[in-house]
Amino acid sequence: MSMTTEGYLFLFALATAAMLLFGMVFFSIMFSDLECDYINPIDLCNRLNTFVIPEKAVHAFLWLTFLLSGSWIAMLMNTPLLAYHINQVINNRHLYDATEIFRTLPQHKKECFIKLGFYLFTFFYYLYRMIVSLLLG
Amino acid sequence: MPSNFIPPVVGTPPPPGPGGAPPGSRAGRRAYPTGDPYVNTAQQLDPFSASSPYDRPATPGMASPALGGGPQPQQYFPPGAQGQNFQGHPGGAQVPSFGGQSGGAQVPSFGGGAHVPAFGGQPDHPSHVQSSVSQHPASNADPKYKRCTLNAIPQTMALMNKCKIPFGLLLTPYRHLLAGEDPVPLINPPQIVRCRRCRTYINPWVQFVEQGSRWKCNLCFLTNEVPSFFDWDPDTRAHVDRMTRPELTHAVVEFVAPQEYMVRPPQPVVMLFIIDVSHSAVQSGMLATAARTILDTLDSIPNTDNRTKVGFITVDSALHFYNLSPNVSEPQMLVVSDLDDTFLPMPYDLLVSLTESRPLIEALLQRMADMFKNTTNVGNALGRAIQAAHKMINAIGGKIIVLQSTLPNVNEGSLKQRDDPKLWGTPKEVSLLQPQSGFYKNMAVSCSPTQVSIDVFLFSPQYADVATLSGCAKFTGGSVYYYPHFNAARSEDAMKFAHEFSHFLSRPIGLEAVMRVRASKGIRMTAFHGNFFLRSTDLLSLPNVSPDNSYAVEMALSENLTSSLACFQTALLHTSSTGERRIRVITLAIPVTNNLADVFTATDQIALASLLSKKAVERALTSKIEDAREALMYKLDDIIGAYKSAFTSSGQSVQLLVPENLKLLPLLILGLLKNNAFRTTSSVSSDLRSYLMAMLYVLPPELSLVQMHPRFWSLHNLDPTAGLPGPDGEFVYPPCMNLISEKLDRQGVYLLENGLEMFLWVSRGTSAQIVHDLFDKPSYDAIVPGKTTLPILQNDYSTRVNNIIGKVREVRLQMMTNYPHLIVVKEDGDPASRAQFTSQLIEDRIDSSYSYHQFLSVVRERLAKVSAA
Repeated sequence: MSMTTEGYLFLFALATAAMLLFGMVFFSIMFSDLECDYINPIDLCNRLNTFVIPEKAVHAFLWLTFLLSGSWIAMLMNTPLLAYHINQVINNRHLYDATEIFRTLPQHKKECFIKLGFYLFTFFYYLYRMIVSLLLG
Repeated sequence: MPSNFIPPVVGTPPPPGPGGAPPGSRAGRRAYPTGDPYVNTAQQLDPFSASSPYDRPATPGMASPALGGGPQPQQYFPPGAQGQNFQGHPGGAQVPSFGGQSGGAQVPSFGGGAHVPAFGGQPDHPSHVQSSVSQHPASNADPKYKRCTLNAIPQTMALMNKCKIPFGLLLTPYRHLLAGEDPVPLINPPQIVRCRRCRTYINPWVQFVEQGSRWKCNLCFLTNEVPSFFDWDPDTRAHVDRMTRPELTHAVVEFVAPQEYMVRPPQPVVMLFIIDVSHSAVQSGMLATAARTILDTLDSIPNTDNRTKVGFITVDSALHFYNLSPNVSEPQMLVVSDLDDTFLPMPYDLLVSLTESRPLIEALLQRMADMFKNTTNVGNALGRAIQAAHKMINAIGGKIIVLQSTLPNVNEGSLKQRDDPKLWGTPKEVSLLQPQSGFYKNMAVSCSPTQVSIDVFLFSPQYADVATLSGCAKFTGGSVYYYPHFNAARSEDAMKFAHEFSHFLSRPIGLEAVMRVRASKGIRMTAFHGNFFLRSTDLLSLPNVSPDNSYAVEMALSENLTSSLACFQTALLHTSSTGERRIRVITLAIPVTNNLADVFTATDQIALASLLSKKAVERALTSKIEDAREALMYKLDDIIGAYKSAFTSSGQSVQLLVPENLKLLPLLILGLLKNNAFRTTSSVSSDLRSYLMAMLYVLPPELSLVQMHPRFWSLHNLDPTAGLPGPDGEFVYPPCMNLISEKLDRQGVYLLENGLEMFLWVSRGTSAQIVHDLFDKPSYDAIVPGKTTLPILQNDYSTRVNNIIGKVREVRLQMMTNYPHLIVVKEDGDPASRAQFTSQLIEDRIDSSYSYHQFLSVVRERLAKVSAA
């Protein structure tokens, strides 16, 4: 059992997925704070907006490493989410707007939970691939 | 002047003194430290911090009281009322189809003798005051303050879904009092009594239990202690009958708020003027008129205890600040042309006390027009100006008043001339209605926490980009005023602006306010419409409470209602312009019913149409104008379809069945579809559309009614009593007519008023007598079309017509700070102005839209299709 490049790749993907997962948990905690009036919308939007672009950038970078390393399954899994992110950025809908946040809150929460579930799934998938590559290595 | 001439009222009466508190009470003793902290404030206060004492929402997940089976909702409708017990067809108005009977004999309308009270009518619903605890006639909220679309609320969610009527409240908490209205009672009790759990204020609809020693909250049903001062006045040591207390007799009351309701001492009135001094502002005369008006109004600006502060910034491609310190002999101008960074040239003395620096302020205003009269500068740096203004007043809060003539084109916040007449009337027009830059909206969002509001006056000769600049006002509780093609050389333009501006500056307003609406258990708020910033799920932050603004709250049932009365309480915590912290509480109680027929019999069609207009504006701005129009049609189909499916058995019907209370709803929706804000036409500029949408979004129901269905009078055959005060002192208007061009007589003179403008239609065959009496002209051909001021002549006819016009203007000025232009339209005159007039005749067929009859038959066909499918 030794670490191949594939092993290292999926180790890196695992760490990144964990980070993205924690990011999504942070977002959903912030949304529930907003609903319980522990934070006001202006502060919420300022805090969340600092993480929106980095999260998308990190995910795009992960997708790129899958592309370059030839792990097609992992790349294809992440492509829909990447397309969704790109669509959001092009239409300028990625940032949170303090004046509209209460109106669009249900949509944002739903998006957050779906991404949370997706990142959790990919976390376990990368874990599986890493262990497989360690065992086969 | 003839003896029966009523001179129009200009400006506003001074605000009433802080009377109303009983003797021996705490009226004279202030609840806050009296030293003025606003002279040199160093610390920044954050009203948004979590330790704010502002109303905290009730904690979620509160234990619901063990109510068991609640009492059955009693029928509050007096026996024999329509719709109570019916079989078969209820008392719905039956509107004949187009192919059926001829003529408009049966078609419901406002005209034809039906008397519409001057301000859109009040719903004829019993106010149930006999069920309030004091049974005082004022114990249910006056509809002018608060109205609900449903005056009988369905008890269960299933019933609510079945009736398909949008459930909402329309509030105007801080309206300007018209002549003859009583002021809101002001109370200064030793303690403000509130429910322990839901924090509702005590109101006329609570119940007293245990021999009056405890009171049961009507919103959450918790019993609370009644404090001893309710029955025993400690100051005079006498028994007081608690049922005479204003908290229990009046539904609209104002409390003086003690220190727990303040984060900081109440702020003074602060007005900071940002005046455009570029070439077009000076050429059009805007600068001179504005300076003149401010100068004339300086005495009427609210200035209790001499605390009011004012400041001026003039803007062209540089910013000019003015040192108005009382220690200098003349106002000094400081020019800042380096706009890379916002900075203030002097830390103090740019914002000065109105009383101390009065001579300097007067000197500045007198010279302002001359200082810039030869300017050739066409730049305008509004973005930087607003940032500088915000820096100047963010420690205190207040009003920033922007008077703008040129499109901002320098540095931050500059806007492009993006108007394109080819897009008007096409689906792509919505891109012109949305802001082109987020700068002004972000500016507004950062102003709101510091209690700064921005009001915008736009005077551009060309494109003013109302859509982007109105964002400043929209999120800070301000207002937008639009004067297209303003030219002070035309006296009507100058008069209109002067009247409106002086009313705007001198009326009482509320400052640093928050508003919350609470409702009975089982009702929750889903959406809010109006100019404010939503600070929490149900807390509206209003840096400035303007009497022009109304708010709409959409609600939904989250569980079945258990009590027989649903109550809605609005609390507005504000600082009055006299410098006192006050809480205005408005309580509305509406019976709950289990019977679908009662729900339909008790709807308020005017409130409903007003709520739909605001929803349509929101839809138009977020997606497309077509979507808004379709949504209106679908909603109308839904409502009438729900009525039809609930009360008729047949699928196809020859006639359109509409409940009695909603019989004018199709007409109002048609008027809304034909309003310039939503009409499919390429002759309405996108600026005008944005402005009308911004107006519709904040108008109270009486005024949105006039926008949807203008008032139309014939003047050539005036009744002898019309135009003069009637026997009960109320002004007598001529009878309103249907808005149909059939009514235009060959010899008639007609007046049409829609809240923003008045049109005077003069037919070709008008009698020479009228032409002479009214216009002082020898013949019809000599009458000048366009904006006019009617001469005040010494004959009875002219006096009465001028009385009518003056009365309309007085009321519109006080209700919405609008002094309508009077535009003369000749029958053979310019087609564009004729089209402006005829497009207001909503029952007619205009362009490719439907006439009223056709519209009704279209609705009937759509319903038949739906029920057959």
